[in-house]
This record gives sequence, C-alpha cells and structure tokens, in this order.
Amino acid sequence: MTSEQYLSARLRRAIAEDPRTTELGVRVTVRGDHVLLSGEVACEHRRAELEAVIHEVAPQLQVLDDVRVANVSEPEGQEELR
Amino acid sequence: MIRIAAVGDVHLGEDARGRMRPALENVGEHADVLLLAGDLTRHGTLEEARVVAEEFAGLPVPVVAVLGNHDHHDDKEVEVAELLRDSGMHVLEGDAVTFQVDGLRLGVAGVKGFGGGFAGKCGSMFGEREMKSFIRHTIDVSERLRSALFSTDADVRVALTHYSPVPDTLRGEPPEIYPFLGSYLLGEAIDATSTDFAVHGHAHFGTEHGLTPGGVRVRNVAQPVIRQAYAVYCVEPARRVAVAAGG
Repeated sequence: MTSEQYLSARLRRAIAEDPRTTELGVRVTVRGDHVLLSGEVACEHRRAELEAVIHEVAPQLQVLDDVRVANVSEPEGQEELR
Repeated sequence: MIRIAAVGDVHLGEDARGRMRPALENVGEHADVLLLAGDLTRHGTLEEARVVAEEFAGLPVPVVAVLGNHDHHDDKEVEVAELLRDSGMHVLEGDAVTFQVDGLRLGVAGVKGFGGGFAGKCGSMFGEREMKSFIRHTIDVSERLRSALFSTDADVRVALTHYSPVPDTLRGEPPEIYPFLGSYLLGEAIDATSTDFAVHGHAHFGTEHGLTPGGVRVRNVAQPVIRQAYAVYCVEPARRVAVAAGG
C-alpha cells in the first residue's frame, strides 16, 4: 500500500514537472496494476502526452485515461446576481 | 445591468490554438466585457503568450486579464504581460481599469494573488526565509488588490484574481492543499472596499459558487469548473444603504 502511495506521488510530480505535460489539474490514482488519470486538459493532444509521460515513469502499469478535453462551447445561459 | 463574461485556466499553447475562437467571436452577444482569471498559458513562454494574444485579439468587448502561476513558470511574466498588452488586452497586476457600460461605470481591479491559506489554517510570516517570503508575497499582492479596489471609482466594482479569496469555491479540492490555492487576505481586501463581485480561477476541481465573509459573491471560473468557453454573470449596482447624517 505504501509503495502505491509513493508511486502515485512520483507520477503526479512527473506530470506536473515534465515540460510535455505541466498538468497540475490531473489526478493520479494507482490501484494494483492500474493507474487512473482524471481531470481536464485543453485539447486532445495533451491526453496522449499524459499517457506517454506516465508510461515512461511506470511502464508496468496499465493506464486508464478518464481525462476530459475542455468544453469550449458558447454559454447557454447566464447567471443574474441580485 | 452589466454582463460579465469570465474564464480562467485556458492553458493555451500551439496545440490548442483556435479552439476557443468560435465561441469568442460571439462574446459580444453575451457580454459587455471578458475577464481572464489567469493561467492563460501552460509554461509562461512568449510563444504561448502569442497564441493567447491571437486567440483573444480583435474581440467586440474589452478583455481584462490577470496572470496565473503557469504564466510565471518561465520567469518571463513581465514580457508575457507586455506582449498581451501590445495585442490590446488589459493585463492587471495591482491596478484597475474602468469602462462605461450601459450608462454605468464598471471598474475591474486585478492581481494574480497567491496562497497562504484561510483564517485559522494559514501560514504566517515566521521562521525560515522561504516561509517568510511566501507569506510576504501574499500580503503584498493582497495590499495591492486592496488599494486598486479602493481607488476605483465605479458603480460596479469587480475583483479579478487567479488565486481564490475564499475556501467556498475550493470544495472538491483536497483540504490539505487549500493553502496553495488561495488566501483569506484577498477576501479581506475585497470585503474592505465595497466590492460587488469577485472572480478567480486556479482550482480546477473546485466549485463555481462562493461568498466572502463580508457577503460578496465569488465565482470560480476555471474552465474545468464552468465547462464552457466562458460563464456570463449579470451584475447590477449594489443598493447600498445610505447612512443619514446624524441618523
């Protein structure tokens, strides 16, 4: 269990500090042989970069990628503050 | 009524160029001003800043921005701000800008802000010099926000930051990292200056709605939170209770 926690901390730092990713808004959860990524990135290309960096640091883990790509559609409503 | 569009944490780079543009070109139909709550880039490089400048150039409404921690990463925050200003954007850091909208004066004061934590669970200017300079930076930027808000003569006064002034909009983030996400000193500056509305980003897993201890509405507009190109808020001048002389 302890080693899973260290591994997940290492992976999290890797995606924050690697210039290819620099993602602080992506969560990393290690469960046994799997690593789950969740959060949001600005475009599709960055999901692939995340997977590549994770794979380099922990090639033994199977990556499950739940990361969303940002929705950039026009707002459908507005909020009136009274 | 003033319609304020706002978004933060768009993290643009060459690979995301043009993605927001279709929604931005119609921003004039939704809002009178567009606020950008920091983290416009990924690494704070001039190349990325150029993408930001092009993405937000030539819009039908004024664009007002503060920088975020990502925009500082390459240690070129001054050059990044300059490049964005040259493209027509207002980039605030301890200053303010005023616009005439619908017969009303809208004032926006902005700073990046910083961490430190919230009342009762925060760092203080004590101990190692690293710790002192961390908290000193928060105190400095909060004081700059306070004086920028205070000196803004407007019917509607808005505070724009990257870091959060309240813990409310951080719900969803692990409580252990709140001290890296904002500071109560920013909230105190907002509450001390008859500010009407506050907008911030930075907390991707946070929530949109919050309130300062003094009753000012706060919105976390980080793009992963609002899940659209920008959110729109309609703000009216506060009905401030006039204190009768001698009353």
